[in-house]
Amino acid sequence: MASIENPGREAILSRIRTALTKPATRHESKIAGDIFFPISDPLDRFQKECSTNNTECLLTASLAASSAAIAEIISSLPPGPIFLQDSPMLRRLAPTLLGRRIARWSTEGLPAEESQATITLSEALVAVTGSVFVSSACGGRGAAVVAPIHIVLAFTDQLVPDLESAFARLHQQDTPQQNSMLCLITGSSRTADIEKILVMGAHGPRRFVVALSPRSE
Amino acid sequence: MTTAAQDFLRSAVEKSANLTHRQILRRGIDTYGAAVQRGLTRFMNWEAARQKCHEIKWEAVNHLDRYLLEFEQHVNERGGHVFWAQNAEDARRYITDLAKRHNVRTIVKSKSMVTEEIHLAAALEAHDIKVFETDLGEFIVQLRHEPPYHIVTPAMHLTRDDIAALFKEKLGDVDSNDPQELVAAARRALRRAFFSAEMGITGANFLVADSGMIAITTNEGNADLGVSLPKIHVAVAGIEKVIPHLQDLALLWPMLSTSGTGQPITCYNTLVGGPRGPNEFAGPEEFHVVLLDNGRTELLADPEQRDALHCIRCGACLNACPVYRTIGGHTYGTTYSGPIGSVLTPHFRGIHEFNHLSYASSLCGACTDVCPVKIDLHHHLLHNRRNAVAANERAGSERTGFGLFRWLMSSAPRFAALGAAGRMFMRIIYSLGLAGTALDPTRKWTKMHAAPKIPKKSFRAVWKKNLAEKSALENK
Repeated sequence: MASIENPGREAILSRIRTALTKPATRHESKIAGDIFFPISDPLDRFQKECSTNNTECLLTASLAASSAAIAEIISSLPPGPIFLQDSPMLRRLAPTLLGRRIARWSTEGLPAEESQATITLSEALVAVTGSVFVSSACGGRGAAVVAPIHIVLAFTDQLVPDLESAFARLHQQDTPQQNSMLCLITGSSRTADIEKILVMGAHGPRRFVVALSPRSE
Repeated sequence: MTTAAQDFLRSAVEKSANLTHRQILRRGIDTYGAAVQRGLTRFMNWEAARQKCHEIKWEAVNHLDRYLLEFEQHVNERGGHVFWAQNAEDARRYITDLAKRHNVRTIVKSKSMVTEEIHLAAALEAHDIKVFETDLGEFIVQLRHEPPYHIVTPAMHLTRDDIAALFKEKLGDVDSNDPQELVAAARRALRRAFFSAEMGITGANFLVADSGMIAITTNEGNADLGVSLPKIHVAVAGIEKVIPHLQDLALLWPMLSTSGTGQPITCYNTLVGGPRGPNEFAGPEEFHVVLLDNGRTELLADPEQRDALHCIRCGACLNACPVYRTIGGHTYGTTYSGPIGSVLTPHFRGIHEFNHLSYASSLCGACTDVCPVKIDLHHHLLHNRRNAVAANERAGSERTGFGLFRWLMSSAPRFAALGAAGRMFMRIIYSLGLAGTALDPTRKWTKMHAAPKIPKKSFRAVWKKNLAEKSALENK
């Protein structure tokens, strides 16, 4: 589809410009200073936040140990395909992670409806909220939400203290330019729409797992 | 036909006398309040955070043309389309035409107040397109053919028993009032919709100018499915949703969730900048953003109230409002309820029909205190009242009444005389058991409440007496 017809565009823009000829006052304020508490130990904070937001953070000593931990989870799941981000690292680890299970790779398209788990990498980990930043490179759209379990293979060098530094890192990696989607995930899917009672696993995964190790390669 | 003001008064009387309704509402809001108190402790300086948010939104709204054009350019660069809708009709027509052109039969929609504002779902269903609300609360009120009750918690007015009965009747495969099982039933029903829908419709909490991305916040992950599985993604947003920089979300996301639910940050904060990219293997083939004016530029033209466009729709002012807590969301009869709704609606839908909302406030200022972007809400309610009077929208009797009041108040002896006469008159009315009858000038109050005890002496007399006794004591 070529460019769309936009008869309202100029009308709206001209109304905006006319409206803005009259200036609005701004609340001037001397209130300033740091908004958030400083993060002294990002790794410790990340783990603590994960335990309160229902992320299973598995801190391991090495990539091999992380792989083994993931393999154990996968082997406990009911039958069904496992969806993986198509990356050289996960291709290499797949035999260890999956055993004899069927892999569906992200280069094949969307995860299948009956997927049992998704395994991806991430763009950054945010200590202050215990969150994981993923992009469409991490398995594509739907990777984080179709399967009942999302497992992220992550490394301690991806950890940043706060959201400000997370965005700085994304910009540095040119992630927003390279990807049509980004998502900051904090814990697993939930709702409190019935009497404000928290229920896990609304539409997305019931379990969100981060296997975290130093990058030992 | 009744006017919006008459409907409002009738419903307000009904709801405020419904103690079950008030209890449900109080429980919901108290749970929220406790969570927010915990959430605030995570900020070292909440006031500095509010100030920063105010500045971010001020910058965006006061340079709206520049940031919207920047946003549009970036969306176009990634192969997305931006449509500028002057009003609800423009937006509805664009989206229904798009759906018909692609033979769309099923749409999955995530929560969006702006789509409520333009009555989008009804317009699509008129073309035989099935629209599924996928946020659990929205799904529930959709099954009940009701508008959302609250801008963040659409089904706040319902108990689990209400929802259990609804699901048993409409979905059939669940017979339990356990929230866990009810959520599972909704998940099963909507899962089918997600995998068959050809179009996903979302709102946008923010439009990020420097990246050309829309930001969507959910806890359920429903919007993530909606922007992933269908082949077309349409996002609808008011023009005021634009923010300058991606980096601004480092503060706006935690502010929105803290004020909205008390969470440090919501579960899924998703950014979408276009259709599936050239190196991507999944995602929609088309991405459309519909930018809606629908009265916003008129509010923008009022520098006094322009900051009402800073609103990030967190719902904090609804929860803080003693009026909202008593009459509930449906009484307002508007898309946006509570204090922010009472400020916005006269601008969006006319001061003639909706000026009464600005009077449904005690002007206590609780809304202004909690607003994360520092909108001067209760003063705007006063501004709306002033504008309604200036536009001759108020009843003549109100003008006469206030004239009389001013005349009485401007002379101390006159005021004292009326006070004495009034006290005597009310004592007689109440002692004859006439409270609440047509003879009782306070009947609007005494219909629902016990009649107050009328003091013998005026406040001034008591004060004078106490003062005299005090000085006599000191002079001893």
